[in-house]
Amino acid sequence: MGMVKKMGKKASILFNGGLLGKVNRPSRYLGSEFNAVFKSPDQVKVHLVLAFPDLYEVGMSHLGTKILYALANSLPYVYAERVFAPAADMEALLREKDIPLFSLESRTPLSRFDLVGFTLQYELNYTSILNMLHLGGIPMRGEERKQQHPLVIGGGPLALNPEPLAPFLDLFVLGDGEEVLLELLQLYRDWKESGARKEEFLAGAAGIAGVYVPSFYIPRYRGGRFVSLERKEEHAPAIVERRIVSDLDSAFYPRSFIVPYLDIVHDRAILELFRGCPQGCRFCQAGFVYRPMRERSPERLKELAVCIMESTGYEELSLSSLSSSDYSGIEELITLLEEEFAGKQVRLSLPSLKADPFAVKLAARIQGGISGGITFAPEAGTQRLRDIINKRATEDDILSAACDAIEAGRNHLKLYFMLGLPGEKEEDLAGIVELCSRIAAAGRKRSGRGRPLRTTVSVSTFVPKAHTPFQWEPQLDLTEVRRRQEYLRRQFQSLKNVQLTWHQPGMSYLEAVFARGDRRLAAVLEEAHARGSRLDAWSDHFDFQLWEKAFHERGIDPHWYARSSPGYGEPLPWEHLQAGVTRDFLACEHKLAMKGEVTPDCREAQCAGCGLKKCPLAGR
Amino acid sequence: MHRYRLCFSKEGELKYISHLELQRTFFRALRRAGIPLVYSGGFNPQPRLVFAAPLAVGIEGRNEYLDIYLQQYRQERELEEIINRELPAGLAVKNVLEVQPGEPSLPSVVQAALYVVSFDAVPEKLEAAVKGLLSSGSVMVDRKGGKMGKEKKRVDIRTYIYDLKLVKEGAESRLYMLLATGSRGGARPDEVLGLLPVKGESRPAVFRREIFVYSAGKLVSPAGKSPVYTSIQESNSSGK
Ligand code: SF4
Repeated sequence: MGMVKKMGKKASILFNGGLLGKVNRPSRYLGSEFNAVFKSPDQVKVHLVLAFPDLYEVGMSHLGTKILYALANSLPYVYAERVFAPAADMEALLREKDIPLFSLESRTPLSRFDLVGFTLQYELNYTSILNMLHLGGIPMRGEERKQQHPLVIGGGPLALNPEPLAPFLDLFVLGDGEEVLLELLQLYRDWKESGARKEEFLAGAAGIAGVYVPSFYIPRYRGGRFVSLERKEEHAPAIVERRIVSDLDSAFYPRSFIVPYLDIVHDRAILELFRGCPQGCRFCQAGFVYRPMRERSPERLKELAVCIMESTGYEELSLSSLSSSDYSGIEELITLLEEEFAGKQVRLSLPSLKADPFAVKLAARIQGGISGGITFAPEAGTQRLRDIINKRATEDDILSAACDAIEAGRNHLKLYFMLGLPGEKEEDLAGIVELCSRIAAAGRKRSGRGRPLRTTVSVSTFVPKAHTPFQWEPQLDLTEVRRRQEYLRRQFQSLKNVQLTWHQPGMSYLEAVFARGDRRLAAVLEEAHARGSRLDAWSDHFDFQLWEKAFHERGIDPHWYARSSPGYGEPLPWEHLQAGVTRDFLACEHKLAMKGEVTPDCREAQCAGCGLKKCPLAGR
Repeated sequence: MHRYRLCFSKEGELKYISHLELQRTFFRALRRAGIPLVYSGGFNPQPRLVFAAPLAVGIEGRNEYLDIYLQQYRQERELEEIINRELPAGLAVKNVLEVQPGEPSLPSVVQAALYVVSFDAVPEKLEAAVKGLLSSGSVMVDRKGGKMGKEKKRVDIRTYIYDLKLVKEGAESRLYMLLATGSRGGARPDEVLGLLPVKGESRPAVFRREIFVYSAGKLVSPAGKSPVYTSIQESNSSGK
């Protein structure tokens, strides 16, 4: 692997002297990890940097970024590099030495790229996007960027409601990126050669299915409410539909991953078994915006696994997807992989398990039934509430799954719940306590073997998300969230070996504000950024008062966004962006939720008719 | 079981990776190379990779040592070649030597390390300060101790400072420091530098030239053969 001469002259003073030794975990910034791609930026036509608005450890764990990095670099005319949000100490050093934020591989300042592509994963990363642009020497607002500045694009699940970011990004890519990225890169190459103006590129991009150019639209408000979206340009489509890669088996997938020096969040090889999820939990945005369920074949997965394990040297392979035990060929795949990797010290893992006996058996099989942790997500404490959210695991399923896991010798159980779900009552909270205490009791009864069972109960706050049946639901009031958390805390005090953790309520509140936000919130992002907000997903950075001041300063009431419960007929600020599921279906699901009725899994019984075109699971 | 001792260098920007990161980097490189490592048993089997002495972040190492254990015999030269192919730029295996499995473990025999500090211009009063250090009976430094490293301890490191020498080499000057290292106690290069008048905007560049073990009353390289340490000057001419 030939290292190409590093470009950034200014950045080099960090690396050559001992300066980098002053920051924590300097290996975050080296860029020389094994399998990183080195090309000469002057030899390519399109120079792209994939930007992840969070720390290296989080961004490097993200599968989508790995896919796009490998895909873009497979094109000879493109060089794709990486950049992550710098930690606070590194940002201070950059500012002190007046060094612009630079890419990891060639250390080029962000302002000198053709394209900067942000991953939109989490609302609390938004101010880090502004900060990275700012540190990279790029004007934050699109309208302030000139011809010589990079185009700034965004993709990922939140691109389906990117309105709070609209003034800052030039375009958004909706849905699966594998095909759109290629089309955009080609368009960019041709446009760059033609020397035309930025507006012409944007006009061309708006013609690509799945591409949303926000500056072509003006939102209208009346009486403080969003009423419509006006098109400024005739050629801008009225509706932008999410792109879907229909044949996942033949879609691009990396044959090697970068191997970080650092111990990142998910430091392992990842196989994506399928995209989408058949279950349709009503609170889960991923369950609606990645439809339909599309699987890779076991043979293809095995072939990829062999390449990836050989080229990375990883000792763990994660069989990943939204609900891995739902993969139809799961047992066949595990058998294939076990044969392939026999004697090679490769550990298989299943990151997301349903609470059912089949999943527990699978987990026991691949991890030899020996200790180690296992995670279940009952989400709600009673059957009634689980029916409302369409989580179809029953109390018995959960208990027996937990007991099986305990019997198999697991000594750490993690349980995920949500607080403040629509229709939640006191009895549902009591149900969480009851369920956890029964599981803990089962752990104590375990016939004297091994260490006592440790149970970690994680309670997050429900956040209503765009493009889900709960987009019409308000978030629970902040004081009430705190009161219910306090109730749980008191109840859990008496449970031995059970640890209760929760998300900071202020964070979930902010997430809710932006998850159903409109373009007016952009001003708040600017204000919060100017006041020092960044890396807000980290509790040591998150400052709720700073945000309160930012809202106040810009005269925007966050409460109105978090607590709004629009009617079915009311226009919503994200409805020009379509995930493929119809509004009627979402409304119908919402009504069913209120009646406590469930909708079956897409593979069971018959299709629920979500409105998706060309769904392979429908019409069977 | 076959045991091999790798002599490797960790240079350039790779001085910024921590010891833990270095361990992981070697482990995965060895796996990519398809080398049949010996693993411990258990739920989370670990390979046996035994490093001579951790190197602090920010310091380059010219001759570092690592023992690996293989299920099968491999030629030394072949190992060197296939491992080097899998290492990121900045890490390189310089030499591989088969070692008897029964020999004592590397960290248990490490005795000293030779550090080299380079200066563009010799800081004022450095020479006198070095002499002063060597002639004093005790040299006290603060160390973190206790739970979470929150308490401070005063420690005398004089016995760990084996030798210091300031040498002019062309345009630059170098301070050679032979310091005790390893499980029987030692001094860190930054502790010694902290006692000398070398402070500036950027810290002086430090690298570790060699690690020594005791053998028949002599300091010798863990690779068994040369270099044998007699004095800083001599090891200076035998080293790189
Ligand atoms: S079309 Fe039917 S089967 Fe396909 S995702 Fe929608 S509900 Fe499920």
